[in-house]
Amino acid sequence: MADHASFFLVHHLLWVTNNRTYASKYIPIIASVSEHQPPTWPSYFMDINVLAFLVPAGIIACFSPLSDASSFVVLYIVTSVYFSGVMVRLMLVLAPAACIMSGIALSEAFDVFARSIKFQLPGLSETSWSEAADSSGTHEMQSDIAKTDKAEDAAKERPLKKGKKKEKEKEKDLAEKPSLKSRIEKRLLVLPFEASLIALLLIILLGGFYVVHCVWAAAEAYSAPSIVLTSRSHDGLHVFDDFREAYAWLSHNTDVDDKVASWWDYGYQTTAMANRTVIVDNNTWNNTHIATVGTAMSSPEKAAWEIFNSLDVKYVLVVFGGLVGYPSDDINKFLWMVRIGGGVFPHIKEPDYLRDGQYRIDSQATPTMLNCLMYKLSYYRFVETDGKGFDRVRRTEIGKKYFKLSYFEEAFTSHHWMVRIYKLKPSRNRIKGKVKKSKSGARQNTCGSLGNPLQNI
Amino acid sequence: MGCRIDLLFFLSIAFLSSYVLADLIVTKVDRRIDLTSHIIRIISSVKVENDGDDPVSAFLVAFPDHHAKHLAFLSASQNEGKGKTKGPRASLPIEASKPEGTPPSLEFYSITLPKGIAKGETLTLDILAVFAHILKPFPEQVAQGDFQLVLFQDSAYYLSPYLVKSQTLTVKLPDARIESYTKLEKSKVQGSELKYGPYENQPPFSYTPIVVHYESRKPFAVAQKLVREIEISHWGNVQITEHYNLIHGGAHLKGEFSRLDYQVNPQAKGAGAFSRLVARLPPRVHSIYYRDEIGNISTSRVWSDSKKTEVEIEPRYPLFGGWKTFFTFGYSLPLKDYLFQSEGKRFLNISFGSPIEELLIEELIVKVVLPEGSRDMYVSVPYPMEQWQETKLSHLDIVGRPVVALRKTNAVPEHNQHFQVYYKFNSVSLLREPLMLILGFFFLFVACIVYTHTDLSISKSSPSYLAKLQWDEVGQYSLVDFRKSNLLVQTAVQQLENIINRRLMIYDKLEVSLRDLSRTGNIQACKTARKSADTLLKELSKELKPLLAFLQSSPQAARFFSKAEELVAKERELQEKLIAKHSIIVDCYEKKLSGREIENRIALHQQKITALRQEVDDLLEFIEGI
Repeated sequence: MADHASFFLVHHLLWVTNNRTYASKYIPIIASVSEHQPPTWPSYFMDINVLAFLVPAGIIACFSPLSDASSFVVLYIVTSVYFSGVMVRLMLVLAPAACIMSGIALSEAFDVFARSIKFQLPGLSETSWSEAADSSGTHEMQSDIAKTDKAEDAAKERPLKKGKKKEKEKEKDLAEKPSLKSRIEKRLLVLPFEASLIALLLIILLGGFYVVHCVWAAAEAYSAPSIVLTSRSHDGLHVFDDFREAYAWLSHNTDVDDKVASWWDYGYQTTAMANRTVIVDNNTWNNTHIATVGTAMSSPEKAAWEIFNSLDVKYVLVVFGGLVGYPSDDINKFLWMVRIGGGVFPHIKEPDYLRDGQYRIDSQATPTMLNCLMYKLSYYRFVETDGKGFDRVRRTEIGKKYFKLSYFEEAFTSHHWMVRIYKLKPSRNRIKGKVKKSKSGARQNTCGSLGNPLQNI
Repeated sequence: MGCRIDLLFFLSIAFLSSYVLADLIVTKVDRRIDLTSHIIRIISSVKVENDGDDPVSAFLVAFPDHHAKHLAFLSASQNEGKGKTKGPRASLPIEASKPEGTPPSLEFYSITLPKGIAKGETLTLDILAVFAHILKPFPEQVAQGDFQLVLFQDSAYYLSPYLVKSQTLTVKLPDARIESYTKLEKSKVQGSELKYGPYENQPPFSYTPIVVHYESRKPFAVAQKLVREIEISHWGNVQITEHYNLIHGGAHLKGEFSRLDYQVNPQAKGAGAFSRLVARLPPRVHSIYYRDEIGNISTSRVWSDSKKTEVEIEPRYPLFGGWKTFFTFGYSLPLKDYLFQSEGKRFLNISFGSPIEELLIEELIVKVVLPEGSRDMYVSVPYPMEQWQETKLSHLDIVGRPVVALRKTNAVPEHNQHFQVYYKFNSVSLLREPLMLILGFFFLFVACIVYTHTDLSISKSSPSYLAKLQWDEVGQYSLVDFRKSNLLVQTAVQQLENIINRRLMIYDKLEVSLRDLSRTGNIQACKTARKSADTLLKELSKELKPLLAFLQSSPQAARFFSKAEELVAKERELQEKLIAKHSIIVDCYEKKLSGREIENRIALHQQKITALRQEVDDLLEFIEGI
């Protein structure tokens, strides 16, 4: 019952927070962070597992009796459930509260079952004595010795009957002596011997499975580095160490003063592992800066080159998972770049990148999408790998297959193509071309346009 | 440019060609230049004859100074005859010399001949010269798919201060295209070999520049700096840590690096890059690791058999021309294979250079970290190099470990010889570190014990002081007595609890009898119940008295005696109230009053009973807790 109620409560919260208003509409950068998404039900079961079921039981236990301490714990769990429903990241707040609650629940359960077993174990004269005294209260008077004897004799056949008697007595007592309620109730919570033994074993088993789950989650989900990826196949463990490969390349083969532009997710990594200055990093305080990079990534090559050049960027780093099927790559994050960029620079419009509201990179994709820098840097010469350009993350053939880069050149691509680094072509040539053009403008015009100044050298 | 310099050089020494240094004549020279790798080896087999009257004890070899500055290694040995060519030969001592009147653009090395050459005798010398960085990539930048072309310059004639009667030159080239070579008379190409000569009767300092421009497909692995740290632990381990700053020293990569081209056609498009290095380690090596500043590098493989261990190292990325990388390579060796004792001294005998094959090291620093307490160190090295000493502070060090540091520029595989570090070390010092740890922990525990046993309190009313007093009081009893009395108190408390519980039960029965009364109206049954309850309660009260008295007298019960007393008092009050209530109800039933009237009369009592019952329950719980 309570389980159901809390389920409903959390579900309601999820529903409320899914209709987020402020953050998602006005600050896309907050909404873009995956840790800021509201959690899904599977993420609750993944993170707190059986605690999800024990917490409601713990809440009930806190209400009998409700003291200052237990009411604090109840408030704690309620607020933390609320906040964890707002964003996944705040699951951290829920964790300790859920642990406390489940601890209370388990402790209560062990208490009840252990006492039930203890009451009915033969040989423990003290408890059976008081039991007998209790039960005989409803009958006519007997001498103490007789009572004890009877209690011991009837120990085995008692459980069910006694339970019923207790209930009756409880009802009466409830009517007559409310103050004794707690004590009598405590005496009354006696379950059948076999049932409580089995329940005890089941709880221990549950705890055991929980430990197994926690070890697994700690190993696979929490401690597995996201910088070194591994995959198991029939021929053993395969390591995808592309990030460190690219960062090592950056740190040893570029100038110390060179600046690297990438989406902000890789900012701290680039700073720490490649020891290079970045344009934006995981400190998302400067929204405009991130929007500038987002705009450059969503602009056509020339505009992007101008933005990057004005930022004194030498290298542009993109993460591309299409070759090996690494799903959290820049193409999948690209809509956020458009949104964040568009939030500051209104000439970037999200609908330009969507075909009928759908985000796609195949032949149905919009020209804006197929001509933006992110698309070009990700898929540059990708078609030559298999002849079709099949993207294993999007599970489709790419839309624009053969194209050349005129403002960027490939500087490095890691072993599995997961990190691609491009160098901005120097501006010197372009200026030469321009000067030439302006000086001999008339003659040039008769000869036809020069076309791309960079290709003109 | 280079050709022009050579020409000037040639002209400048032409004036001096009439100069004759000694009476020696070189009757025959066979030179082989090995250009298959980026480390150039020139092997000259020189037949010398003493034409003068006096015995000569030194032989001079000359190098033009633009070669001499790249000279990495020079060794000479005496070839005593065809039968003895195999097997190790003692290398002859060599030193730089500057004979008077020789041209300044030449550098000379003097090979000391231990036996000397008497008049008319001949002698054959094998001279090995190894050069580093003597190949010039031309063009300096190549695209990813192109092979690098390199230039090599030397003289067609053997440059010597002596008259050379007959000579040949063979240039061994890699199996690849030869772009161009200087064509002279008697020069020809045979397969991958270029042959010059034989040339007869060349005067001293004859020099004819030749240039070979050829394709070199082998990448140039160059370590710009290599720091090898050899740390000795007398617990049985030699730990070697090598920090490599690696660069591809060939023609620089021009334009894009395309991973696609590199993966699709590694033979053609990746030939200029190197992606694997092989390190040959001793067979009993263990704890090999390979990492850089951002963690383990997962691309390495180890093969081992009884004779050697081979480690294949792949840098994180393929190195194209001009690309650099950094990594740390470490391994451990058993101490007993490398550390020996002689005349009260210990000496370490270990190889000097890097275990990686065909690696040119521009700056090699070898640091031997000796255990703390070593003294009287000195190094015996096979060739001259810079030496200094420093100290290194590590775990559990007080004054630091003495470090013997050696520095060598342009180290080539030929420098991979053993060197010795002699030092004195007392074995007792080995126990210093464990003793330090043991003593440290010992004093820590002693300090803990002292701390727990001292009373630093100033005030005599402090809790610690009072607790101590109490402890002393208790301490007057023997331990057994203490335990016994404790047990007694425990049983007394249990009995007290029992009695109270039973009394409470009697009250329950009284309540039940009242309920039966209200249901059946049987006053008589109710009265009997009351009577039996009264007698039982009296008996129990009697039992209660000695228990209370005992608890009062026992010191262990002092802290909860007040509670027990309170419990008994409250319980008695409860009894009184209940009895009163019971009497009232029975009375009322006898008078046949209405239910509401009864309730009104007992309401006050009922309230008190409820409150008292609660208090008694709480107190009982507290006592149970004890």
